Formats: sequence, structure tokens, C-alpha cells
Amino acid sequence: MKKTIGLVALLLAFLMVLSACAGGGNRQGSDSVKGDKIVFADIGWDSIKFHNAVAMLIAEEAFGYETEEVMGSTPITYTALLSGEIDVFMEMWGDNLEYYPDDLAAGKLKELGLNFGDNAQGLYVPRYVIEGDAERGIEPIAPDLKTVEDLKDYAHVFADPEEPSRGRIYGAISGWAIDTVMRKKYVAYGLDEMYNYVDPGSDAALAAAFASAYQRGEPIVGYYWEPTWLLGKYDLVLLEDRPYDPELFNEGLTACPSIDVTICVSNNFYDKNPEFVAFLEKYESSSAITSAALSYVQDTGEGFDEAAKWFLRENDALLDEWLTAEQAQAVRDALNG
Amino acid sequence: MPNWIASFPDTIKINIATPIDNFVEYINVNWRPFFDGIKTGLLGLLNGVYAVVEFIPWWLLIAIVFALTWLLMKKPLRAVLYAVLMLLIGILGLWSYMQLTLSIVIAAVLMAIIIGFPIGVLVSTSNHANALVRPILDTMQTMPSFVYLIPAVMLLGIGNVPAIIATTIYAIPPVIRMTNHGIRHVDKEVVEAAQSFGSTRWQTLVKVQIPQAMPTIMAGLNQTIMMALSMVVTCSLIGARGLGHEVVIGINRLEIGRGFTAGLCVVILAVIIDRLTQGIYKTEAGDDHGKG
Amino acid sequence: MARDKDIVLEVKNLYKLYGVNRNAAMELLKKGAGRSEVLKQTGVTAAVNNVSFEVERGKIFVLIGLSGSGKSTVVRCINMLQNPTAGSILFEGQDVRKLKKKELLDFRRHKVSMVFQNYGLMSHRDVLGNVAYGLEVRGVPREEREARAHEIIDMVGLSGWEKKNPSELSGGMRQRVGIARALANDPDVLLMDEPFSALDPLVRRDMQFELLTIQRKMNKTILFITHDIDEAFKLGDRIGIMRDGQLIQVGTAEEMTSNPADEYVRDFIDSADRSRVFCAKNVMETPSSLIRVSDGATKALSAMRRSGVSSSYVIDEKMVLVGILTLEDAMKAKAENTPIAQYIIQDIERVAPDALLADIMPQAARTRFPLAVVDSEGHLEGIISKAAVLSSLT
Repeated sequence: MKKTIGLVALLLAFLMVLSACAGGGNRQGSDSVKGDKIVFADIGWDSIKFHNAVAMLIAEEAFGYETEEVMGSTPITYTALLSGEIDVFMEMWGDNLEYYPDDLAAGKLKELGLNFGDNAQGLYVPRYVIEGDAERGIEPIAPDLKTVEDLKDYAHVFADPEEPSRGRIYGAISGWAIDTVMRKKYVAYGLDEMYNYVDPGSDAALAAAFASAYQRGEPIVGYYWEPTWLLGKYDLVLLEDRPYDPELFNEGLTACPSIDVTICVSNNFYDKNPEFVAFLEKYESSSAITSAALSYVQDTGEGFDEAAKWFLRENDALLDEWLTAEQAQAVRDALNG
Repeated sequence: MPNWIASFPDTIKINIATPIDNFVEYINVNWRPFFDGIKTGLLGLLNGVYAVVEFIPWWLLIAIVFALTWLLMKKPLRAVLYAVLMLLIGILGLWSYMQLTLSIVIAAVLMAIIIGFPIGVLVSTSNHANALVRPILDTMQTMPSFVYLIPAVMLLGIGNVPAIIATTIYAIPPVIRMTNHGIRHVDKEVVEAAQSFGSTRWQTLVKVQIPQAMPTIMAGLNQTIMMALSMVVTCSLIGARGLGHEVVIGINRLEIGRGFTAGLCVVILAVIIDRLTQGIYKTEAGDDHGKG
Repeated sequence: MARDKDIVLEVKNLYKLYGVNRNAAMELLKKGAGRSEVLKQTGVTAAVNNVSFEVERGKIFVLIGLSGSGKSTVVRCINMLQNPTAGSILFEGQDVRKLKKKELLDFRRHKVSMVFQNYGLMSHRDVLGNVAYGLEVRGVPREEREARAHEIIDMVGLSGWEKKNPSELSGGMRQRVGIARALANDPDVLLMDEPFSALDPLVRRDMQFELLTIQRKMNKTILFITHDIDEAFKLGDRIGIMRDGQLIQVGTAEEMTSNPADEYVRDFIDSADRSRVFCAKNVMETPSSLIRVSDGATKALSAMRRSGVSSSYVIDEKMVLVGILTLEDAMKAKAENTPIAQYIIQDIERVAPDALLADIMPQAARTRFPLAVVDSEGHLEGIISKAAVLSSLT
């Protein structure tokens, strides 16, 4: 009995030494010129995870950095960016953060330019609410619903389950700057007479509410934004609004502008890593590209790493745009190896 | 060197996520009347509780806290302290939020008792049931709550109703466990005594086992209330109103003071409810020091 | 055995086995295998192994044995708290094991009550609630059952404590509650599972006395479990000794003492305090000389001289003890030529024939003369010398 235990212990020890060597070997293989580590903010939504994956792949293969993602909510990761604990924000939704313009002006962080700008946000309804869906046997319930203002006639369609005599609009997440605007819009358009503006509490809950309604083929109206996997996966229609006007927008009277989603880095990182900063300054995607990548993730069930590889293989030309020939080759080798 | 020694081999991977997704989607689509029924029932419960809580004027509630503390703990100073703390909630401008949070907690705890107590009794009388229920309870207690918060939204929508469900799920294990534990550990001779006088199973249970287990059951209830209170805050992430919602807004806007104020009120509420329920079950346990 | 006795309870070939392989174990036991052998071969524990005994109405039957001897299991089989593996339990000729569920409840509600070692009281009920419990489950209306409970509580000497919680009572008082609760149902048979073992010795003696008093008053049949041989001898009309699940001897205290079935029983009895087993009549002797009150002094003197004693007991024509006459006083009477009557010492120690030696020891120590054993009408039955008392204890 004792002998057996001894043997097993010996075998385990041997295996562990082996695996330590194997692990060490791997690490050495990817060891870099510099060996520094870049910390990316992961704020939990999918598009930033995708952009992180692309930037991380390039940081590792072309520049030889180690990389790490730190998860946290927007305020937490943002605070960490200011203090330099987080190096890179691949998606800064600056227009949604009340405090961002002031901080930028005060030089508390560096903005490196646009990631994508052709996005949209506002009140969405599933397409079948307006047009019906013959395949699923859904009749159009609100055929004439086109604009936010039209919602007034359809409160009964979007009934609030907790107060069925009124309609329910799923609002933006409290604390996001857009929430204030949406609440003003709700009042300005007189929707407060027949609708409740319901705070979903979190973006996950909001997505779940849309997904649930969509699966059931039920009507729902609420705030959402793109690029998101939700918009990639489900066919939602953005309700039209008056054309964007910077002054009236804040009163909730016009459509939302396309928000410039920028890439930001901490001051410290900016000073110490000029080459990588130069790459990030060139980095630009689009809402469409992002949505496509997110759909890839949703459809294949692959991780974001795989999505990043897929994306770079599909858009090989970007590598030449962003990187030196040598660096681009290193990335290509990694993609094909 | 073979790769499978260093890292888990890629070839043996099973995907249970997709079937679960499909399952949730399936019941979301097909069991709608069932969930609508639950929704209606819970909403009725919550509205009823809220109506009662809202009906009690602030000064009366403070007076009740004061009187209960004095009666149960026999400590006038503490009674004054709790009354002042309650007053503080009002002064901080969070009275109506507190009322809603309290209502959700009460509704969830009622659900936990209505469902948990009979299960606890059943489990105490059957080893098979116990073997079945135990791993479920372990799962409920260790599963991160966000994991079932989102399905709760899928099935019941956003708002206070899924919050009650999620809170009930989170807070029910102590009621079941402690009811089971309490009944199983009633002095064997006392149970034998009841049987020897010709008590039916039901009489033994109702007249002897449950009353004897009451102190333990109440301790479980106290835990349940505390867990419900902490969960109600988490549930503001799926749209539950009240103090937790204030905390979340505070955090989202980096308004630390706002979050802290609401958090403080949660703490006050928790401390007072905890001490009062403890006071109740300690009074019930009496000065039974066991046998000489 | 003569059938003229009124047998309330009869246990016949009772077995209680714990374990899976009970049938095989049963075979072995019937072949005469011992408990440890059965355990080794089948993994089955024979808690009760072929036990048979009878309990007469109005008597106290004591089962005695060390812990693990199976005595508590036997008593729990009688009201089916434990389901026997084999055998029968006849209550007034009816087999308890064959009762249907409802009948068993009725049997427990009306025929047997149980008293427990650790009292088995319900801490969530007051004394009254505990005592009334049996009547409550039986469905007796509140007023009636509480009146009855008050009565019994009064009888066991706990008046005024009705509203107290059991936890506020001393051990002895708690067991009084336990006994009261059992008696409230007015059962035919009282099962008492080591009821006094948890009490300290002084309280235990009081409770034993009280139990005997109650038993005489209410004439209950009692099956009493104990591991204390003194208690068994004191209380038991008949006693059964159990060992390793078997009943090895049944009899009265005297029968067992004078004729133990085997070494085990002898050892058990030796551990007992003999003074609590033997009574006056066991050690008394016939006086060697007796004087009648009508005898003259001369006759008295010659009687004493003949048997070589210095004093003699004096009786009347009906054998009723009058007193004692010393040789000295007899000589005085002869000299004065007076009747002996005025010299008879009447203030002498008298004991009953069934007085325990332990109880007459103080009297024996105090008296100058041998103790006189007299029956309830005063007839002299015998005398006990100091030496006889002391020597009987060794």
C-alpha cells in the first residue's frame, strides 16, 4: 500500500517537473525584446473584448509585449486608467461619460484617435413589431411605427407587465450620460403620460430583456446601441428621430449623434511606449467591422482570440497599414503557425 | 515534450453552454403562461406587502422599532439608538427607497418561508429527499448569483418581480437547512415520548418536533433575511428599485457619496432587522439550558 | 406454570436484530450461537435474543442488566417504538405486533405509558402541557384534560408548578412530571426505562419510595428497567437479569440471592448491598426461652437458668409481646414475692418481619437486648441478636 502511494507521488512529481519545463519553454519562446506588460481595460461588453484581442495579438506578436486584461465596470477601469494601473482603453465612449471631456482637457489621460465613429444609439424595436414575420407567424402589431413620436399611439402594445395600463420603455443604464438625455426625451415627447421609463439596472439585464422578448416574438421598445452582438444577432430597428442638433440633443429633442469611440492610454504609458502608441494611433475599425466580428463570435462560439485571428486573416491589408513590414510578417507567421 | 502534460488537452472538451442556452430559450418561449402566472402572483404579493409598508407612517415604524427593541432585548438605550438610526434613514432622504427595499425583502422572505419550510420538513423526514435536496442547496449557495439573475430577467422580465425570485433562490437555503437540521436534532427521547403516547406522525411533527426545532428554524430565518437583504442590493442590477438602485447609480456615476449614503441605509436596515429577529428567537429559545 | 395468576403482559421468544443479513443471523441464534459469533459471521447485532417473561397484574417487574444488555430495547418493543424481528408480545392475550396502525395508536394512548431516563419532557410546554400531552393527542377536551392533569400533578407533589417550564425544575421534579404524564393517561401498564438513573442517590431513594407509594395507591403494573441491583431488589416483585440480549434468570430477590443461576448472576448480586436484600425474617431466630406474663418469678428464673440467658421476652396468652424481663429483676421479684409484671421492661425495640436489615441497623446498635420481631398484631415471631445483624452483612 505504502509502496503504491510512494510510486504515485513520484509519478506526479515527475509530471509536474515536466509540465513546469514545458510551460517555461513556451514562455521563453514568446519572450520579447522588452518583456513589458500592457494592461487593457475589459469593461465587459463584447466589442471592447474583440478590439482588445486584436491589439493584444499585435502587441505580443509584433512588439513582443506581454498583455493582460483587467475586468471592471466603466467607473472602476476609468479610475484605474487615470492612475496608470490600466494602460489602454480600446473603446472610450467619451460622449457617454460626463466627466471625460474635463479630464481630457486637464491632461489626465491621452486620446489617440478614433476607433470607430459610425455607430448608432437610441430607441430600438424588433423589426417584426413593424413589419411582422411571416416565417415565425408574427403579425405586424405596429405597422405605422416609424419615429419616437409615434410611440405615443402604441403604449398598449408595449405594456408594462408590472403596470399593464401603461407602456414600458426600457431606458439606458443609470449613470450613463445618455440616460439623462433619454429621460429628457421621454418627457419632452410626452411619453411620460402613457409610458414608464424603466431602468434595467445593467447592460446585461437590458440585453436579456431584448433577447427574451425577441425569442418570444413579443413587442419591446428600449434603448440600445451598436455595434453590439445583440444588434448583430437580432433584427432591431432604430426609431427615427429629428436630425441631430448639438444644442437640442441635450434636451432630448433630436436623434443621438454617432459617438466617436476613441482609443485612450494613460499618460505614463504614452510617454514610455511611443512605438506602440504610434500603432494605436493608426488603429481604426468601423461599426460594421466590429459587428461582423461579434457575429462571428456569436455564430461560431469561438473565443475573442480566435475572432481576432480570423479578423486579421480576413483583413490582411490592415497589417501593412498599421505596422512595419517586419512586424507585419511576424504577425502573419503567428496567424499561420 | 507532449503538450497535454502542461495544459489541458484541447481535444476533450464538452460544450454544455449551448444546450443550456437552448433550454432557457425553449422554456422562455414555451412556458410563457407559467412564468406569466408567477409574475402576476409575485407582483400581487409585492404590491400587497408594499401597500402595508407604505401605509405605516414613518413615526409609527420608528416607534415600532423602538418598542420591539425594548421588549425583546430589554435594553432601552439600544432602543433609542435604533430609533435614531431609523430616523437617520429618513433624514438622509432615503425613506421611500428603504420602504421599497424592505417590501422586496419581506416578499422574498415570505416566499422563502412558504417554499422552504415545507421542503425542510419533508427533507427532515426522508433521507432520500435529503440526499436529493442537499446538492441542490449547495449549488444554490455557491453558484454566483449573476448566473441566475440574467435567466431570471429572460423569464420574468426586468424589475422587482425577477428580483424577488432571484432573492428567494439566493436566500432560501438557510430556511431549508435549519428546518431540516432543527427537526432532525430534536431530542430523541422527546420524540419517542410523543410516539409512546400514541401521537400520529402529524401530531408528533406539529405538536413536538416543529415547536422543539423552532429556535433553530428561527436562526435559519434570521440568516435568510440577512441574505435577502444583501441580494436585494445585487438585484438592482436587474432593475430592482430601492436602496440598492441608489447604490448602483452612485457607483455608475462615480458619485461615491451617493452610493455610500444608500449603502449606509442598507447597513442600518440589516443591523436592526438582524438584532430584532435574533431577539425574537432568543426569547423563544427561552432559558432552556438543556438537561441537568 | 399455574394459570391462576393474572398475567397482563407476556413476552414470548422476542428477538430484535440490527443489520442486513437478519435471516442468516436468526438461524445461527436458533442453533445456539452467541451474540459475538453472530456479529462476526453475519454483521448482525442481536440486541434482544430470545427473551420471554410474564408480568403479573399489579406487580412490579424489573429488568436489570448492564448497558447494552438489551433491556431498553425490550421495553421499546413492548409499545412498538422498536419493531421486533421475531417473537410475540401479548397484552391481555392480544399480540401487540399484529395491531393495525390505528389499533397501535389506541394501544399506546390507553394501555401503556412510558417514562424515560432523561425525562423526555417538551421544553416548549409547561408542566401542565406536558402532563396533559397524552390526553391531548387522544382528543380529550382541554378543560377535562387539564383538570385531570392538575389532579395527577397534585398527586406527585408538584402543585403550584403547573405553569413552570420543565427547565426550571430540578431533576427529581422533572421526573415527577414524567411520571405524572405517564399516569395521566391512566394506563394499565407503566413502562419505566431507567427513570431514576439520572438522579442523584438521595433524590433517587425518595423517588423509589414515592413510586412504591403510588403503585400501592393506584395498583399499576410496572415494567421497570434499571442497571442498579439495589433498586431492582427494592422495587421488584420479580426481577429478570439480562446479559448480552438474553434473559438469564427470573425470580424474586430472595430466590436470586439464595439460588443464583450462574456466576454472572452471583457476581451481580454480590455487588448489591445485602442489607437491602435481606429483611428481619431472614435472619431472626426462635428465642431460646419465653416467659408468660402469668408465670411466677420462680418459674421465670428457672426458665432463664435452663437456657443460660440473662433476660427473656415476656408474652401473653395470645403470643403478643409484652416486654422483657432481666434475670436481675426476676430475682428481685422473687425476693419481694411480687408478680413479675411490674418488673417487665416494656420500652423495647420492635421490628417488622419484612424490615430491611439496612433499616433496622440503627435500632440494633442502640438496644441492650436482641431485637424483637413482631408482626402487625404484635405477635412475637422471633428475635435478632446484634451479632446476627452484623454477620448477615458479610
